[in-house]
Amino acid sequence: MKRAVSRRDFLHLAGAVGGSTTVFRAAVALGLLPAVAHAERPELATLNKTRKVLILGAGISGLTAAYELSRKGYEVQVLEASFRAGGRNMTVRNGDRIDETGYPQVCNFDKDPDLYFNCGPARIPGHHKALLNYCKELGVELAPFINDNRLAWVQDDAMFGGKPVRAREYMTDSRGFVAELMSKSLTPAAFAAPMTKEDVERLREYLKYLGSLDPSFKYTGSSNAGLAVHDYTSPDVLKKPLDGRELLKSKFMEIMSFGETDDQAAMMMEPVGGMDRVPAGFLRKIGHLVQLESQVQKINVQSKGVEVTYRRNGAYVTAKADYVLNCIPMHLLAGIEHNFPKEFAAGLTAIPRGKLFKIGFQMKERFWEKEGIYGGISWTLQDIQQLWYPAHGINRQKGVMLGAYTFDPNAGEKFARLAPADRFKLAIAQGEKIHPGYGSYVETGVSVAWHQMNHMLGCAAQWDEELWKKWFKTLQTPVGNHYLMGDQVSYHPGWQEGAMASAHHAIADIDARERAAGSVAA
Amino acid sequence: MKRRNAVAAGIAFVFIAGAVSASNDYDYCLLCHGANANGNYGIRAPKLSGMEPWYLARQLENFASGARGTPAEDTAGHEMGPVGLRVKTEGTLEGAVKFIGTLESRRPAPTVTGDVAHGKALYAGCVACHGPKGEGNPSVQAPALAARSDWYLATQLANYQKGLRGTDPRDTYGAQMRAIVSTLPDEKAIVDVVAYINTLK
Repeated sequence: MKRAVSRRDFLHLAGAVGGSTTVFRAAVALGLLPAVAHAERPELATLNKTRKVLILGAGISGLTAAYELSRKGYEVQVLEASFRAGGRNMTVRNGDRIDETGYPQVCNFDKDPDLYFNCGPARIPGHHKALLNYCKELGVELAPFINDNRLAWVQDDAMFGGKPVRAREYMTDSRGFVAELMSKSLTPAAFAAPMTKEDVERLREYLKYLGSLDPSFKYTGSSNAGLAVHDYTSPDVLKKPLDGRELLKSKFMEIMSFGETDDQAAMMMEPVGGMDRVPAGFLRKIGHLVQLESQVQKINVQSKGVEVTYRRNGAYVTAKADYVLNCIPMHLLAGIEHNFPKEFAAGLTAIPRGKLFKIGFQMKERFWEKEGIYGGISWTLQDIQQLWYPAHGINRQKGVMLGAYTFDPNAGEKFARLAPADRFKLAIAQGEKIHPGYGSYVETGVSVAWHQMNHMLGCAAQWDEELWKKWFKTLQTPVGNHYLMGDQVSYHPGWQEGAMASAHHAIADIDARERAAGSVAA
Repeated sequence: MKRRNAVAAGIAFVFIAGAVSASNDYDYCLLCHGANANGNYGIRAPKLSGMEPWYLARQLENFASGARGTPAEDTAGHEMGPVGLRVKTEGTLEGAVKFIGTLESRRPAPTVTGDVAHGKALYAGCVACHGPKGEGNPSVQAPALAARSDWYLATQLANYQKGLRGTDPRDTYGAQMRAIVSTLPDEKAIVDVVAYINTLK
């Protein structure tokens, strides 16, 4: 019996082949449209009474809240455990310290404005309005960031004996292969929902353009895969299509649409000179409110206000505030003495911590540009997962490229266990499969294992649907005058926009309470 | 720990502080092991305060040498390994142990529940070294078990059984423990014996 394909199945299949853009277009074609929602930056009322706010953590959420509240008459102090502000927004340059618990490192890149590495966030999509507005307001200059480069490589040991292929070849040939098969098998009877003969014809036309099929619905190659030779004095010659069955052996299919996802699609941006220009922008305004090297040890929520005890220079200091905005990573907060309600405390240990890992290499030559790669990402199914090529400093002699960025916690742990020199060795051996001779360009490197970084011990909180349902409201709801914040208390963990959303949510609540209490200027 | 590298200029940062004073040096322990090193289940770091200095020192040495924390499945051990190595190579191991001794030890809230009566029967095999009240016995290098992180005791018993601890030839005391723990028949036995240890004062 032939299995019927539902509209939903078709969308999933189209998505796997064509990416989310295809899904969107197909959804439009079938009369399904998505909804859009925005969270806004709150306009706080100016206080006419004294209110002291302690903010625990000078990462993006803490700095955002400090900036907003201090402008409206709140007395703000930010306590930061580390020797630096910024949280996971961290850019390293010549001489910077990488404060990993077991393996502290120093960045030995040359002193040069283009030679830096964004260890945490590194790109901003155009719909991250809050962050983009702050960039504008704080004078943080932005430049295009290249996330998706079809001339970059795809490498997987499971296909073509591990030999890399250009991303555009993989994408074009696999779409052609699948579109041809689909167009051959389409009949009105194949759909669960009623489809007319005309509907099916329209879909076949759609597949023809999706897969670059010829008039007889066969895939015989496409210039989208790149020409065999770029010699413009002679007629174009198409590349011979890659073996479709071989392409399907690779799990690259699962990440092929990465550059089309909501947060990753062009046009992406990055601050000129490094992502830490964002916290630097905040600190130009409110740096005097931030006290570094102050590690919180105890939080006591009281009937009015909150008491916080922290360690500074080996001594314990206690401070009291009307409000506490707490951006400490939950998994660390769980080890701090507190009097939170049992259910809230249980939530702190319920969300697994992220174990993302990155390597940055200073390369003595921008060899990738000789391969026609200017910015973007090569993907591999090896541990290192990604190679990023800088879009800034094109045509200069040297560049800092990303030599590993793992999403898989097992790969993150595998690297983190090794001493930095061995991490580099492993990353170089894997990079060699994409760029033969890769290791010979490496001058020096940095590695950042977020789950071993001092005062962090984790990357983005690893929420899932079930955890969100069970814990999110509990953790987002203030305990007395204590608010938990950070990207960890957002539906967008791992993004600065999520951190800002959590800050906006908390300060809007404080603002509403102060307005209700009549403590604001009329 | 000694801060080996002062922050260099590069592009100027208004917010980067210089070297940290020595008195903050052991705050690293509190990062993972929580306030007063009373443990943090959130990142599976056990309570250290109240631990015997000789036991702490030995375990740090084991982590430093790789006699503990190296098997592939011991993910928590992997995180401690480099820290052990660091305190050893930087000469701060003794200072770290002393620092833990200054902290205020609190009895952790129990997280493991089991058949206490069954656990008591099984504990008969532990008494000789760890004492009837779980108070430990330095003369046989057996640490106290009472008022420890109970989930951690359970994890370590399981680690001994699975060969994630006590298999390295340099860890002779660990090997003894591994031999004894192998007499606990199953996971329930581990839970029950820890539930009994929770009652010891």
